[in-house]
Amino acid sequence: MRNPFHTPFAAVFTNEVLLSARRVAPYALMMLFSANAVLWWGWGPAVAKGWATNSDFYIHRNLVGFSFILGLPILNAVIMGDPVVRDLRLDVYPLIFSKPIGRGSYLLGKFFGNFFVLVCCQAVFAITLFVLQWVPFSGMVTLPVRVLPYVRHFFFVVVISHLVLAAFYFAVGTLSRNAKIVFGLAVCFYPVYITYLLLLKSIPGVGVFTDPLNLQSQSGLDPWSRSADFLNQYVVSYSASSYANRVWMIAVSAIILFVVYSRFAIAARTKPSEMTVLRLSSAAEIVPYTLDGGSSYQLLDSTNDAMFDRDRVELPKVSATRSPATTLSKLLAAVGMEFRLLRAERSLIVIAPLAIVLSIFDLAFYRVVPEISYSVTYASGTAKALLLFLVGMIVFYTGEAMHRDREVKIEPVVWSTPAPNIVLLLSKFLGTVVLALSLVVGVGLTATVIQLVRGHTPVDFSAYLLVYGVVLVPGVLLVTAFVVALNILLRNKYLAYVLAIGTSAGLFYLYSTGHNHWLYNPLLHQLWTYPDLTNQTILISRLYFLTLTAAFLMLALLRHERAR
Amino acid sequence: MLVIRDLTKTYSSGVQALGGVSLDLSPGVFGLLGPNGSGKTTLMKIVATLLEPDSGTIQMNGADLIARKDHTRRMLGYLPQDFGLYPTLTAWQMLDYLAKLKGVTNKKERHALIGALLERVNLWSARTQRLGGFSGGMRQRLGIAQALIGEPALIIVDEPTAGLDPEERVRFHNLLSETASENTVVILSTHIVSDVSNLCTSMAIIRQGKILSACTPRQAVDELKGSVWEGAVPREQLTAFNSEFNVISSRMFDGQARVRVIAKGKQPGEDFSQAEPVLEDYYFDLVNR
Repeated sequence: MRNPFHTPFAAVFTNEVLLSARRVAPYALMMLFSANAVLWWGWGPAVAKGWATNSDFYIHRNLVGFSFILGLPILNAVIMGDPVVRDLRLDVYPLIFSKPIGRGSYLLGKFFGNFFVLVCCQAVFAITLFVLQWVPFSGMVTLPVRVLPYVRHFFFVVVISHLVLAAFYFAVGTLSRNAKIVFGLAVCFYPVYITYLLLLKSIPGVGVFTDPLNLQSQSGLDPWSRSADFLNQYVVSYSASSYANRVWMIAVSAIILFVVYSRFAIAARTKPSEMTVLRLSSAAEIVPYTLDGGSSYQLLDSTNDAMFDRDRVELPKVSATRSPATTLSKLLAAVGMEFRLLRAERSLIVIAPLAIVLSIFDLAFYRVVPEISYSVTYASGTAKALLLFLVGMIVFYTGEAMHRDREVKIEPVVWSTPAPNIVLLLSKFLGTVVLALSLVVGVGLTATVIQLVRGHTPVDFSAYLLVYGVVLVPGVLLVTAFVVALNILLRNKYLAYVLAIGTSAGLFYLYSTGHNHWLYNPLLHQLWTYPDLTNQTILISRLYFLTLTAAFLMLALLRHERAR
Repeated sequence: MLVIRDLTKTYSSGVQALGGVSLDLSPGVFGLLGPNGSGKTTLMKIVATLLEPDSGTIQMNGADLIARKDHTRRMLGYLPQDFGLYPTLTAWQMLDYLAKLKGVTNKKERHALIGALLERVNLWSARTQRLGGFSGGMRQRLGIAQALIGEPALIIVDEPTAGLDPEERVRFHNLLSETASENTVVILSTHIVSDVSNLCTSMAIIRQGKILSACTPRQAVDELKGSVWEGAVPREQLTAFNSEFNVISSRMFDGQARVRVIAKGKQPGEDFSQAEPVLEDYYFDLVNR
């Protein structure tokens, strides 16, 4: 009997898992999910309401929330959208398809390898909640340690929901051979799904067959009107329509995979522009001539002449200038290039909309109580909500920018040009700053639109300018300069990620335990209200951090690897 | 005139890449030949300001290239052996960016230059294509184009013809010959001996970080006149023959080995006849010694 671990399917499956193990994204997701599990466990409503954190009800509630919120459907697309496209993009497919491997083994290995990675990432949330049963803090209610509810609800609520989404994203990516279409669909997920929920609310029963997350079939239990004792003893049972939905979703996944199997062609698709066109030569392309003026005529292909014509193209003289204006022009070109390359990062398609949606979520869907004015509340609310995303984005994209040239092997070409080190360094710094500020502008514009839509007028742009200009902009500059310096000093992207995230986490922990002072709080987390923004202490703090920004950049310049 | 003196470089791993390299390079195409791992790329990187030597000097027309890196980079065109390009850019955008970094600020001049360069390397029709979709040969041609931006006085090309088809290879040779004017030094690092014999006015052979020979291709070939022999050796005697003579090449034909041998002042066998020496004979003679 054939060893199942030595089949082509197992080889593809293992390879996908190993490839994912070398990517940063799965680890970043695991950290995010684990941190959220801790947050939802200790700082969710359970402690305040006396709900047991390991009750069947609370486990189920957390997993339903986890499956829908946190951008999980979008992250699903990031992992499942391009396993096959990647092989085509990297030109690995001729090596793979020249081996005796069937379409089925290849596609199923790809799908289940990546889905396994996705489930492992998701499982970290459930595992963290499971482990936290042993470490309750005072005031927290816990029941005796339990195992089965975590497994049952995780499988029923998370795995099956994301199986069908994964199959859908995988099918679109594989058949269109274009990951961007998948990411575009993923970005549309929330608006489409929320609209769908609202529209189908009035038609009961339809959700059983069409709701991938099965939110329509959830029990109508209102926890806010029930006692803690009732909820702690409550056992979540799934209705027949829930089971029907789950079975149907598994069937739909299988159908989608079958469609992929039947429609997928192993041969690389030829672009129309690359097709060879067979046509008759036109008269102009051939010139008859004789060698000796006699009767023997030969044909001269005039395209040869055309080919040698280009050898006669003279390279025009150019003047390479050297002045401060030239250096500025080089800097502008380099910043433009960095920004263009950062914009081309595919993860941005997911992160930017997610950051915008989550930053304006409260203001868009909940009651807004104006502080001084609606604009002040909107500006302050979005600035506070955006902080975490800005830090994450800066850490990640600065690392990408700082190491990209080496990774794509263009570094020797760029470093041999007469561009000063300060141009190369500042271009990375400013490229990331412009990207972060674009997000800030995006959030600001979205917030003003929501203000207008909700009738919270008048829109006061000066409030946005003051909040973003005093709180966010100096913070963005400082964090970016710090991460640039860190990458230069450590010369290792991943080490820089770990140190930057560790430093941020450590600082936020200090702030949350009451050790909060503007001297070591560049983002002014929990240190400001709108009227404070024009007082002297805040302005001194901002100047202090701008000086630190310059110091970090100077340090980076001095330690830059390229010889001066 | 480029003058390299006593250049040494030892990597932190303990590998000595260059052990006192000295060379005099006149304007024209200079070929640097050597097997893999001989120190060619290290030497190229040092001249291109990408690596600091442990000791030694490099001067061009009296200017210290190691101390004055900015000056060096302003007159440098560099094509590394293993280089990449931003996959999301087009060929035009890539050259435009590099031209700006090289200080070609005049937009009209820059665009005229980029157009001409793309024409010369036969990429004009692909100028709006993304580099991610370029084949190996197309990338190599774009690499050649970027090295020629800004009329460099010192051009360093490291294994430039790898991945080019024969037609483009000839075209590249022509382009390089034209570029190497009376004021331009072109350093061509390669292990393809025919590239050097076709193109170079002078050459050096490097092995294990040391220069074994520096001369013109003509001098190298002349040195072997009357010493290259060709003949047949029975298969069973080939091992003994190899240990006795400096065999440059051997191939089996009709049960016998047809061998090419360097034997100075001595005929290897009665059936052997003298052959016209080529640069490859000189190269293998030195490197195998």
